[in-house]
Amino acid sequence: MTAYRRETLVWSLLTLGAFAALPWERVGKAFLVLSWSRTALGQVSSHWSLAMVGGAASLAILLALVGGGSQQAGRLLLSLSSLGLLAGLIQLFTTGHAFGLGALISLFGLLTLAGIGLAQAGYLRGGAFVGAGILWAAGLVAIFILFPLGVMLQASVVIQGSLTTSGLLRYLRSPIFLLLRHPELPVDPIRWGIGVGVATGLIAVLTGWGVTRRTRASLVWGGSIGVGAGLLTMLILGMGALRNSLFLAVIVSLISTSLGFAFALLESRSRLWTRCLLGPLSILPIITPAFVLGLAMIYMFGRRGFITHTLLGLSTNAFFGPLGVGVAQVLAFTPIAYLVLVGVIHAMDISLEEAAQTLRADRWTLFRTILWPLMRPGLANAILLVMIESLADFGNPLLLGGGVPFLPTEIFYAIEGRFDQHEAATYGLILLMITLTIFFFQRYWLGRRSYVTVTGKPSGGRPIPLPLGADLALTGVFLAFAGVAALLYGSIFFGSFVKLWGIDHTFTLKNYRDLLSHGLPVLLDTMRLSVLAAFPSAGLGFLIAYLTLRHRFVGRTALEFSAMLSYAIPGTVMGIGYILAFNTGALHLTGTAAIIVLAFIFRGMPVGIRSGIAALTQLDPSLEEASATLKAGTATTLRRVVVPLIRSAILTGLIYSFVRAMTAVSQVIFLVSPGHDLVTVLILSWAEYGTIGRGAALSTLLILVLAACILPAHWLGRRRPVGVEAAAN
Amino acid sequence: MRKTSALVLLAAALAVLLVMPAFAGENKVTILCSPDPAWCEAVKREFSKGTGIQTEFVRLSSGAALARLRAEKANPAFDVWFGGSGDSQWVAEAEGLAEFFRPKAWGDLRPQLTRAVDGHYIPLYTGLHGFGVNEKILKEKNLPVPTTWKELGDPKYKGLIAMPNPNTSGTGYVMMTTIIQIYGEDPGFELIKAIHRNVGQYTRSGGDPSLLAGRGEAAIGVSFANDVVERGRKGFPIRFVAPKDGTGYEIGGLNLVKGGPNRANGLKLIDWALEPENQKLGPQNGEVSIPSHSRSAIDPDVPRFEDAKVIAYDFGKYGTPAVRDGLIKKWTEQVFPLPK
Repeated sequence: MTAYRRETLVWSLLTLGAFAALPWERVGKAFLVLSWSRTALGQVSSHWSLAMVGGAASLAILLALVGGGSQQAGRLLLSLSSLGLLAGLIQLFTTGHAFGLGALISLFGLLTLAGIGLAQAGYLRGGAFVGAGILWAAGLVAIFILFPLGVMLQASVVIQGSLTTSGLLRYLRSPIFLLLRHPELPVDPIRWGIGVGVATGLIAVLTGWGVTRRTRASLVWGGSIGVGAGLLTMLILGMGALRNSLFLAVIVSLISTSLGFAFALLESRSRLWTRCLLGPLSILPIITPAFVLGLAMIYMFGRRGFITHTLLGLSTNAFFGPLGVGVAQVLAFTPIAYLVLVGVIHAMDISLEEAAQTLRADRWTLFRTILWPLMRPGLANAILLVMIESLADFGNPLLLGGGVPFLPTEIFYAIEGRFDQHEAATYGLILLMITLTIFFFQRYWLGRRSYVTVTGKPSGGRPIPLPLGADLALTGVFLAFAGVAALLYGSIFFGSFVKLWGIDHTFTLKNYRDLLSHGLPVLLDTMRLSVLAAFPSAGLGFLIAYLTLRHRFVGRTALEFSAMLSYAIPGTVMGIGYILAFNTGALHLTGTAAIIVLAFIFRGMPVGIRSGIAALTQLDPSLEEASATLKAGTATTLRRVVVPLIRSAILTGLIYSFVRAMTAVSQVIFLVSPGHDLVTVLILSWAEYGTIGRGAALSTLLILVLAACILPAHWLGRRRPVGVEAAAN
Repeated sequence: MRKTSALVLLAAALAVLLVMPAFAGENKVTILCSPDPAWCEAVKREFSKGTGIQTEFVRLSSGAALARLRAEKANPAFDVWFGGSGDSQWVAEAEGLAEFFRPKAWGDLRPQLTRAVDGHYIPLYTGLHGFGVNEKILKEKNLPVPTTWKELGDPKYKGLIAMPNPNTSGTGYVMMTTIIQIYGEDPGFELIKAIHRNVGQYTRSGGDPSLLAGRGEAAIGVSFANDVVERGRKGFPIRFVAPKDGTGYEIGGLNLVKGGPNRANGLKLIDWALEPENQKLGPQNGEVSIPSHSRSAIDPDVPRFEDAKVIAYDFGKYGTPAVRDGLIKKWTEQVFPLPK
């Protein structure tokens, strides 16, 4: 019990110290300006609520010194620190002054004290660390994920201080968002939609009734099919950003997932050596910002592209528009689908297939009754991930979109061009609702069934190879895909060494020399910020994974769900949320490097959570129980037992968080500020301004740097975590 | 245990090293820079070399830069808005985002420029507005070189035009207002709609269409003259056309951001940027236009005002915030979504 008192003493001293010595508020970006009048203690006379913050910290010290370690003292500590926290927050938000380092540390200290109190009062098991950890995770998720989304929601329905749906309706009726009725459209989408919907509905109802003879079911299902077909027709015939983005996402996700599935089958079941190429190919897109491939595509497939013009003699604009964006996205996102599906295929128990074969099932039955049901959750997951990536992708529509509006680009133009926050928030909300619908669908429709085939029992045997014909056909598709990808990467590499890509192909090193003065510093600064973000990102991810997996507490599901939500939030939406939420007032952060780092942290967090869950589920909880039996606290157990065992997973999580931060575009393009330009944003602006050779050189450098970082992680991920097994046995 | 503490120490040292630069140096100036990034880089390099003031910039097109200033009104991050088309500079001053003052060199600037924008912003350069054409592509298609805005609306140029999106680009906005000033608002918008049907690619930045035309991705790129001249010098087969039915122009300017963090250094930068020897940096780095100082030399490649039918561009009217926002909204809702 003395542990509680020691922890309480340390944290309340920290709180009081920050309260007395560090600036409570800040002016501008300087977090560390030492002056008496800026400290909370110096302002107590004018702000009574600050006295409560200081009072709470002082009483906590007293409690630690004289109070016992009893549950009652815990309850007292909990209520004290919550009161102080509340008072501090109210003071910050009512004055609207930007928080300073003092406020940050004091309030963080009080939050921790509340966590200690929570544990001491017996509301939680697992000690002070668990209590504090839960509150840390919940606080951070609330401020940096839920709060920006809330502000965005507010901006879409509150205009000039009053609640109204007028703005929402106006933007949703805007032709740029959805155009269904216009004299210049060749056919009327609404009339056609109704016609097709009624016709399909009637046919569906009649067929349903004819086959099953069940009136109600046929009416319900036939009716829904009719409505769906009608809406689909309207979307196909209509125009506007919503329609374009949705369509693109659906088509790209289906194609990418099919290709990814085919490649995953090749990886585990091909007899040809070409399957060795799948590994490197699947890494490339992770280390390439999505739009870089789009850029290379202009040079290969544009009106004057190497392939279209020089080789085929064509002169076409076809690649400026949805087709070009779609192809660029398929190239960039297929490996995501592949990585998801290859994991699923590897986890499948081969003995099931062997059993089916023994029972003389033919190949088709085997596929239909074993492979397909086992693959379905993985396929749905892959489709979901690719759809979200496609909906959020911003660089490709910008570079290749032609004159066609897409949701992320329109959000961008609304903020960066028209400066209409309400419009941007409305489109952001729509984008969020689409991805959340897919997310819920995936989670609750497929999530409830169990498809576990990892039983721990040894599953011998090698996977049954593909039939030779299918093997050859799929390998052909893969080689074509790999060829195009190699061509595009090659052209970026080539473009970085020539004078004027596409015009003057004389060899030069000038592009790289130019990088030294401008480009290299930005690359280094981006790396610095990404490293700064990677540690908290992976740390927070692991903390959340650990807490939700190993502890039971009120709000656990809510925490897990909100944390996983950051998966489904498109980067553009997160960017909008951040610029709306942190632009003024108590949480003002725009214009600082801190906001970029924070955006990186919460973009990388899902990766940390995922690798944390994967690593912890492999670890037998009895190890932790043994440590607890030996009277080690949770923090000690984590430090001495858990972390050493899952070290390689933590390292992998760190590296992936770093890489995700380095390649981020859509969430940070609104957040760059003087002195903190980012490498992706810089490449994009060079590409647009025609400093294309330098853009290619910087892209090449970025890809090489990230490759050097990710190869060890890839290698670590491949290796079986021997230590864990040894310890668990 | 010793190993662990060594690791912790190492991590702490690393963290300090990483965070350190965030607290470095207070003698700074931050620029919101709208012209060619090469010029921005040159200004950053030369100004900090000459004065020892640490210089940072973010490059944003005029429209985007204006939006950024509006977004940051409560807490401006920039000291000087450097370059960018005149309309948006005018809007910024009218909305109280920028602060006009007369720099030391005011009397030495070209009088026709200072007269046009007095009290609103400081002229930095001026140049014609029209389009760049790639004659090779047009010849392949057996099409004549267009010489007027009206001809750009001809369906035979379908898919061959690149123009910047007026939402983010001042260049796109100047095209719109030029056509409106020649033909009147309603017939002007009809022409803009006709041109829209021919556009193959909208771009975010004003410098991009001439690049697309130079590379042959488009045949015609709506652009300021300086971008076309610069691309031509770099080796792209592209030539500037000053439209015969009326040629617009810009007075690119610079201004002090109101309430910026380093006001004194901002003032220094503005005075520095107007000196003739520093105005050379523009033409040397992609902005081949006419510098505003009357003693600055004019590059022989710059298309001259005397050779074009220059319209009497109404900077005041089209720099009024409500007019500008209204026109851009009208374009976004009535032209941009139309089928092509």
